[in-house]
Amino acid sequence: MYTTDTTATDIELDLDTALNPGEIDGVYRDSRECAYLALLAGGGALLLSPPTPRPKKG
Amino acid sequence: MDQTHASSPLAGAVHDLATEVVLALRSGDHLATVCGAAGIDEENRTGIAAARVIGADLLLPSVLYGRHPHPGDVAVLDRAVREFPPKPDAPAATAWSHWHMISTLQRMAQPPGTTGTTGTASPGTYEEPDAAWLEQAPWQSFTHQLSVLAPLAVPAAPSAVQRAAAARAVDLARGFVRAVRRRDWLQAAGAGRWLAAIGGEPATLGLERGLDFVELMGGHDPRVTLHVRAARLMAEARAR
Amino acid sequence: MTTTATQGPQGRPENRAPRREAHPGQAPRGHASPGAALAVLPHLLRTALAWTDAHRAEFALPDDVLDPRTQVNATLKPLGELAQLCSTVRAATAPGTPEHEVAGDLVTYAWEQVGAGDLLLELLRTEPFAAYPYEIYAAFAGYGLRHEGFEALARPLTATRAWAHTEQHANRQLGLINSERRVGVLTHTDAGAVLSRTWLGGLSEPWMFEGPSGYALTHTVFHLTDWGRMPDRVPEKTDAYLRTWLPAWADGCLESGQWDLTGELLAVGASLPGPPPLELLDAVWPVLADVQHTTGCVPETGVPVQDTAPDPYPFIDCYHSTLVTAFAAALSLRSLRSLRSLTDGAGSRSGRERHTP
Repeated sequence: MYTTDTTATDIELDLDTALNPGEIDGVYRDSRECAYLALLAGGGALLLSPPTPRPKKG
Repeated sequence: MDQTHASSPLAGAVHDLATEVVLALRSGDHLATVCGAAGIDEENRTGIAAARVIGADLLLPSVLYGRHPHPGDVAVLDRAVREFPPKPDAPAATAWSHWHMISTLQRMAQPPGTTGTTGTASPGTYEEPDAAWLEQAPWQSFTHQLSVLAPLAVPAAPSAVQRAAAARAVDLARGFVRAVRRRDWLQAAGAGRWLAAIGGEPATLGLERGLDFVELMGGHDPRVTLHVRAARLMAEARAR
Repeated sequence: MTTTATQGPQGRPENRAPRREAHPGQAPRGHASPGAALAVLPHLLRTALAWTDAHRAEFALPDDVLDPRTQVNATLKPLGELAQLCSTVRAATAPGTPEHEVAGDLVTYAWEQVGAGDLLLELLRTEPFAAYPYEIYAAFAGYGLRHEGFEALARPLTATRAWAHTEQHANRQLGLINSERRVGVLTHTDAGAVLSRTWLGGLSEPWMFEGPSGYALTHTVFHLTDWGRMPDRVPEKTDAYLRTWLPAWADGCLESGQWDLTGELLAVGASLPGPPPLELLDAVWPVLADVQHTTGCVPETGVPVQDTAPDPYPFIDCYHSTLVTAFAAALSLRSLRSLRSLTDGAGSRSGRERHTP
């Protein structure tokens, strides 16, 4: 009597995954620094600090 | 099915059903049926499968507002329980969500003094599935699994899963932080819902603002909104 | 488990990250096995120091270091870091051990590079109102290497109102306070008040952690504790906050391949008062050990190369993370071994985390 019987197997498969989903891939993105209105942008050395920001390849 | 980006008919039906649960939670007054509003009845196999995915949250507005559920919703949930029982080799989370649907039907659909309108899907002897694996899981996968089982995070519904959650509130809080950093809003919402249900999270977590953030970032998925709204209602009830 | 997209039913393709190359930080994380950190740390420390020693010439200052066009971030900064981190390694290791000796040699080498302080005095004369010459000098002064002429010129400058009102981030201001402590002058302000203005001191919502706040946090702890030497300076509520959230933050750093920040978080964990955060150290150190190249260097970020070539990464892309690894490893070993001697004695201390109220 079901109206969508043609896809019954698909539904069962979809259901199994929906009931037991894996984790999605993490998305990581850090804030950028914007020197807007900053004085002396890039002018001061940051001793003993995080690694020097450099343009990233690729 | 009003959304265009669903990856499958089932995903679309889940989306629609979750949207209706959210609307009912928001209004606090759900005279219409959740399933009826989503265009789902007992004869619609995709819809019944979607009800199996949403699980006991189909009756969440009634559970949280303390009202009788609509018979149509009870019937669909009952149908989903019968139609999609866990296979013998099903993952534990699948067995648990099925168990919780039955236990919710038992609690909600048969108030004393009324006659059951549905063929009770609830064999009274239905045992709790195993939960030892949860106690042993590392906090990352513990949070992920608990988030999948977020429908079990409701008041006055004791289970071994809930006891495991209560015993590991700090791990769940770490999992919430991890999920937000990964931008996994659905997992974060589920973990946040558990924390709202059980309490005991470290005060520095800032759960309330965190849930606001998760809803705003991930609210395009109505399941995220569903969990966040459930969390807020439970947190408000706890605060009273 | 971090990335099991194969089983994912998510109808939200916009949430999926582009497929990345797999690396050790993306492997599923099971339970930390007790003793896992101690099993890898001695080798990690020894090889990281060996790489640094073998590449000491790359830290050498160029002849034109005082030229205003010379990039301090590529010259004085790495040398100052070499001095600072190796002096901590030396302080955290036992006399007579190879690590102790190599670390001491490297500090001596850095001191020679600055002409036993003469070059720093020259630098201060060319840029008398800058804070960084003083901070570099303090890295040596904390080790007992002093220069009378430098201090004579710095003394009146650091007593000015302008010095006390240097405009900078709160965590960096803690660094200035720590430098003053090392040189032995009156600090220009109260460290506690400055701490409360930092991201860490404000006990920020932990779900807002990311790279920039992470580095602000680690440096707050480094300056507060004088690079791990004074764990007791960490206030109780800050200690509890860090013990609670470090595991969640480190997990994200591993998955996203932020090895340098991972190392700094481990150094923070090893700089806390009381017993070491065992679960954190045992869970994270083995991953960092997998990332370390056979030559001892550790890349700053990204997928580690499987190349057996002697120099798989450019110096500028791995020197900081390699130094940080050595520094964090030395502090972790100190912390774990002191716990062991405590438990051997009394058997009552536990590494379990306390929770925030």
